[in-house]
Amino acid sequence: MTVLFGIFLLTLLVVVAIGIVRTGNLFTAVMLTGIFSLLMAANFFVLDAADVALTEAAVGAGISTVLLLGGLALVPGRERNRRRLHGLALGIVSLITLMVVYATFEKPRLGDPSAPVHQHVAPWYLEQTPILVGIPNVVTAVLGTFRGYDTLGEVIVVFTAGIGVLFLLGLPGAIGSRKTEEVQPGNSYLGHHLIPQIVGTLLIPFILLFALYVQFHGEYGPGGGFQAGAIFAAGMILYSLIAGEREALQVITPRVLIGLMASGALLFGGVGIVSMLLGGNFLDYNMLADNPVAGQQWGILIIELGVGITVTGVLLAVYHAFAARGR
Amino acid sequence: MYTAASIAIFITMGLALIRALLGPSVYDRVLAVNMFGTKTVLLLSVVAFLYGRPDFLDLALAYALINFIGVLAVLQFFQNRQELASESSNEADSGARQEPTAPGAESAAEKSPR
Repeated sequence: MTVLFGIFLLTLLVVVAIGIVRTGNLFTAVMLTGIFSLLMAANFFVLDAADVALTEAAVGAGISTVLLLGGLALVPGRERNRRRLHGLALGIVSLITLMVVYATFEKPRLGDPSAPVHQHVAPWYLEQTPILVGIPNVVTAVLGTFRGYDTLGEVIVVFTAGIGVLFLLGLPGAIGSRKTEEVQPGNSYLGHHLIPQIVGTLLIPFILLFALYVQFHGEYGPGGGFQAGAIFAAGMILYSLIAGEREALQVITPRVLIGLMASGALLFGGVGIVSMLLGGNFLDYNMLADNPVAGQQWGILIIELGVGITVTGVLLAVYHAFAARGR
Repeated sequence: MYTAASIAIFITMGLALIRALLGPSVYDRVLAVNMFGTKTVLLLSVVAFLYGRPDFLDLALAYALINFIGVLAVLQFFQNRQELASESSNEADSGARQEPTAPGAESAAEKSPR
């Protein structure tokens, strides 16, 4: 059953990908990208990777379409210099595709217990997580503890990407010469329509609450800082769409956004420094409490909070950088 | 039963995808994406029960809460385009993008929060 579901979803995925490549209309491409992301999330879910599926859901449903449209608002709507079919390029791509397909014949079957991925460190993680960390969700334990350095690196990457976008586009009131007051107030198209306004206003508190649930429930179910940050940012983007760009910038001011971006990463790194000062290694949470297991849980809770703060700050700042530029 | 339901949802997803690929108007595509989002929520819920992991309903909940934000952003995007187009009507860069009018956008907005 899983295999059939997977085959069907992957076929649709290929169809959508070809559609994205073939269309010259950038708006159509953005819409199809949305469908691509939904398919991808369904695919992850069918393969039982709920944490990844939740990330894809949070980013794909709320954020990526909005950001792509923000970028599209700054450029013309059609692809320029659209080339005809290039024979050589098509040949190379077909050849590589055939080689990759050929390579998959050597791959172990889906769910094969003797596959290399199930022989390496994965069994150790599964055995040791209840003993060393004591939380049910092994993904969170791997992300937060066993691979804590990687996660710190990811947070720094997100932070760096945010800095790059802000240097290019500027953020009124914080980066560049524009002030928050120069952004047009109100003037939101959706604000004039009753149904989006009322439904949106009703939903925003629940979206923010759900983000907090995903943030602090990550040790027990699918979720964690990355997903929670994206959902929280989606809630604030909804507010910005309904109330207006300047109003949203007054709720969480640009300077606070910049502060959030940096403080999440600092919090993560700070946990590492504190655990060093307490006599352990960098990001060795055992030192944070008397009981090593409790220390691990405290450490994961704090670093996930740091991840969530940075992701919220970066996504919101990037959104405002695009949205405020249009007006 | 869950299997039959998920197969029905797959067929609906395929039909919505065909509409999104063929178009022809912008609204067809917007509605197709919205429809696809709803079907994904249903699929995730059904598969969660099919696999006996109802705690994974969190995902469907996440989609249900934030899926319509994209549609709202699309409407806002068209409105901005239209304002720009009316400010400088000579600088038309594409015909298809300026035809959406407020009444049509309204009806799409009414459908979006599901």
